[in-house]
Amino acid sequence: MSAQPVMLPQGWEARWDGQSQAYYYVDQSSGQSQWELPTAPSYGSPDAQTPVTAPPASAAPTAASPAAAPRAGRRHYPTAQIQQQLYGGYDQAQQPGLQAPMQAGFPDQQGGQQQQQQPGGGGPVQYFTPAGMDGSLQQPGIQPPAGYAGQQGGVGPGPGAQFSQGQQPVDAMSNQFQQMNMGYKGPAQAGGAAAGGYEQKQLHPIHTVNLIGMQPDVGALDSPPPPYLIPPNAAVTQSPHVQPDPSYQRSTLATMPMTQSLLNKSKLPLALVMAPYRSFRESDGDMPVPVVEDSVIARCRRCRAYINPFVTFIEGGNRWKCCMCGLSNEVPQLFDWDQAAGKPADRWARKELNHSVVEFIAPTEYMVRPPQPPIYAFIIDVSQTAVQSGMVATAARTILENLDNLPNADKRTKIAIIAVSTSLHFFSLPPGSAEASMLVVPDLTDVFLPKPVDLLVNLNESRPAIESLLNRLSDMFQDSHIVGNALGSALQAAHQLIGKYGGKIIALTASLPTVGEGALKARDDPKLLGTSKESSLLNAASSFYKTFAIECSKQQVAVDMFLFSASYTDVATLSCLPRYTAGQTYLYPGFNASRSEDAIKFATEFGRVLSQPIGLEAVIRVRATRGIRMSAFHGNFFIRSTDLLALPVVPLDQNYVIELQLEDDLKSSTVVIQTAILHTTCYGERRIRVITQSMSTTDSIAELYASADQIAITSYLANKAVEKSMTSSLDDARSLVTNRLSEMLTVYKNQVTSSAGASAQLAVPDNLKLLPLLACGLVKHVGLREGASIPPDLRAYAQDLLTTLPTQSLVPYIHPRFYSLHNMPPEAGTIGEHGVILPPPMNLTSERLERHGLFLIEDGQNMFLWVGHEAVPRLVQDVFDLPAYADLTGGKFTLPQLDNPFSQRVNAIVAKTRELRRGVYRPHLYVVKSDAEPALRSWALSLLIEDRMDHMSSYAQYLTTVKNKVNGSS
Amino acid sequence: MGGEGWLFLFAVLMAAVLLFTMVFFIIMFSDLECDYINPIDLCNKLNQFVLPEMIAHAFLTLCFLLSGQWLAFLLNAPLVGYNVNKIMSKNHMYDATEIFRTLSGHKKESFIKLGFYLVSFFYYLYRMILALISESD
Ligand SMILES: [Zn+2]
Repeated sequence: MSAQPVMLPQGWEARWDGQSQAYYYVDQSSGQSQWELPTAPSYGSPDAQTPVTAPPASAAPTAASPAAAPRAGRRHYPTAQIQQQLYGGYDQAQQPGLQAPMQAGFPDQQGGQQQQQQPGGGGPVQYFTPAGMDGSLQQPGIQPPAGYAGQQGGVGPGPGAQFSQGQQPVDAMSNQFQQMNMGYKGPAQAGGAAAGGYEQKQLHPIHTVNLIGMQPDVGALDSPPPPYLIPPNAAVTQSPHVQPDPSYQRSTLATMPMTQSLLNKSKLPLALVMAPYRSFRESDGDMPVPVVEDSVIARCRRCRAYINPFVTFIEGGNRWKCCMCGLSNEVPQLFDWDQAAGKPADRWARKELNHSVVEFIAPTEYMVRPPQPPIYAFIIDVSQTAVQSGMVATAARTILENLDNLPNADKRTKIAIIAVSTSLHFFSLPPGSAEASMLVVPDLTDVFLPKPVDLLVNLNESRPAIESLLNRLSDMFQDSHIVGNALGSALQAAHQLIGKYGGKIIALTASLPTVGEGALKARDDPKLLGTSKESSLLNAASSFYKTFAIECSKQQVAVDMFLFSASYTDVATLSCLPRYTAGQTYLYPGFNASRSEDAIKFATEFGRVLSQPIGLEAVIRVRATRGIRMSAFHGNFFIRSTDLLALPVVPLDQNYVIELQLEDDLKSSTVVIQTAILHTTCYGERRIRVITQSMSTTDSIAELYASADQIAITSYLANKAVEKSMTSSLDDARSLVTNRLSEMLTVYKNQVTSSAGASAQLAVPDNLKLLPLLACGLVKHVGLREGASIPPDLRAYAQDLLTTLPTQSLVPYIHPRFYSLHNMPPEAGTIGEHGVILPPPMNLTSERLERHGLFLIEDGQNMFLWVGHEAVPRLVQDVFDLPAYADLTGGKFTLPQLDNPFSQRVNAIVAKTRELRRGVYRPHLYVVKSDAEPALRSWALSLLIEDRMDHMSSYAQYLTTVKNKVNGSS
Repeated sequence: MGGEGWLFLFAVLMAAVLLFTMVFFIIMFSDLECDYINPIDLCNKLNQFVLPEMIAHAFLTLCFLLSGQWLAFLLNAPLVGYNVNKIMSKNHMYDATEIFRTLSGHKKESFIKLGFYLVSFFYYLYRMILALISESD
């Protein structure tokens, strides 16, 4: 299993030696070659070969011996020294710290293992390996806590050590993942022993890690999942893209258990975590989805699976054998024919045989009706609260600005606008007219359209009228003093308007619907909070929204909800509509457009939603090798039959979790799972996006554990916990997470490490070493947290996000990122190879907060810029353009762009964080003063999940709880 | 035929009707599992029968109470209580959005009710015959 190293130091090259089946390394400058992996640092000067493990004494004196520096001392840095650290001491002080871990970081990577930290560096990770593993992995026992106190000095090797891990760009990771996969296949093929590598039972190596007393290695959160190792001849082509990128689809287990009883015994969840309609981000190194242009779609006659890289061709290539049901099918006549060029084509170059993710252009048989145009019906709340908050003006302006960004390639896009207070206001937008006229319908019980035409209009034809209306909308209702909102009736009206085409209803509302259909009451009784009855507040109060959602789904209508209220809006009830129509809920608590941050956030997110290339009239179906059954589905859609998910409009980057069961024992050595999403693009093409994935089967519990994907399991647990909190109680939801985790670790301890009896250690496989941390983050998350102080709206919204965010955003949402800015490495905040370089992420504990420091905590939804109350005036001046800490006020903040390098770097980091992930969200930036605004302060601190919070346990305590459960049940 | 005979004759017929309702429910659920029916139609169909079934059963129980058939009443009272509780907590109707998640529970409930009505049917039949015999004596 030799894999090509992913990153080599500058000037080095890896070459393959066919004879010895291994790579060797050549220094291009000297011509020298060697078998060992070169370990020169790639930072600083390439010639600096001497390892430096401790910063020279010339560095900031306080940090010279970080390990010995007592905590108390750390908190009393004289300001002069901090200045030196900040602005003078970088060059000498930081470089050594960076070099040391880079040298050691490389060898770990090539084995495909999780990297580990260096002794004396970041959080020490202790490995104990019962089976006598590679000696280099073993580290001496538990390090005293003082070992990481040193990290907080800022100039010690700590940040550097983490840097080598945290700074791994995602695409390099996926690259690495692919390389590892190929590395597995490569040598075996080259050696001619086709199945040689596959004979071994244990595909994924197993490393046991102890967690008790260890600091979690947060940099490893970005590591790729265990690779899908399949026999080298499993795919018909040697393409590196036969397995999907984890951002499309990943499984909680990278190998499939052969029987349900094995799965039950292992206590591991088996589920697919997918975002099939994922966005395409060039900046992340995304490959565009290959499109099969010639509409030759080979499908199995029996199980309707699409042809994919894992089928086998038989009878001289005239027939293909389905990899799911085994049926032999005819190869379509035009399969080997290049229709565009009119000549025979190379079958092995066909995209569907080389790529896991492909799109087919579907012929008319796949259409129930001609492709529908993209249709948007806007419902805008114009009651007094809505107008006064500035929502109406901002929304109208955003729609106006985005009229050109709405998907409208073939000029068929239609829009309608309905304003609602206690009556419905329709707007007639006749084509060619420059003015819109308003038609008011006061009857809310039996909604009718006041006019048969001109209410839903073609965007291009009626552009002048639409623009004039949007320009005047806010002023029209400026003096309205109407309190009340007939949202339900407006939704029905919009549904009547667009029902025959299908499309998207975007409802923007700033008050609780109080009149007409679907009227709701403010039911947020504070006495219920923190009790077992709280879960009733997370369920729908009125059946109207569910029934209406079903009506919408039938007519291919999706609903997006933008909720703004300063008081209770019943997010739990209103979010039912997006949930069952594949829409999305967006919440802006206490929205006030006069605060520019609020206006910018909403306008940006709303604009992104409007310009998304949505897929229309979509259905998702997952097929798998016989014996595998989809048993439960989680996400925003309507389940139309046992295996068909209906999504009237499929938005980008929404996550779905599908649980799998084994009905029959699996006999073959590999299984195939295929997700197909049939949809109409917004430019009127019917397409099928197919994602195929192949997994080996196993009958070993150890192999299941070694191939478990902690991120996918976290996503699964989040969905299960949210479901539990609605059907049962929040208490049960939290216990579900902890119990499932303990059960897994119990089985691991007893069956895999086969250590009997109570243990002072908590053994986990290396690939699940962050699962306890993520589980701890999950039970302390706003969506599930214990406590009587979380408004039901925020809880319901957090639960929505937990079930819809793709894994890339879900991980920071559960385990936020925490950076120290005042002493970040010199290259952080500057432009590197992959854009702005972020500082090394730190462990989420307030021990890292320093009185004089500047920190950033972000979870993808909010960012907190934490300013220590002893921050030197120079720092405050440089970042905030204010004379001193005392002049700073906490709260939502727009960071000024100042003419100094530190401000530019902080700005660059904030900007980078905002565009780091897929999705429409633009996090707010809050300035948090460490000694003021207790509410804001405790909100920011609540993101530091390794700490004890109120009566919720710290990470260490959580581990002890889990350990006791593991010991108690063994 | 006296009052008791008529009462149990009525009960036998009611139990038979309820029995068939449950069989219908179970068939519909397995149709859903086999994709012969979509969840929306299924719920629309079944929801028409939910309240009538509960009312019929409650009426029968009331008849037992009024005619002083204590044993028959006690036999039926728990199910009435269960149904009332379901209506109070507003989850007596089938919900198309949740049906696949709750399907196994619904099936189990229908089977238990089926068994209960079957037992009731034979008990009422037995009581009816008993009443007829005692009358003819
Ligand atoms: Zn097949």
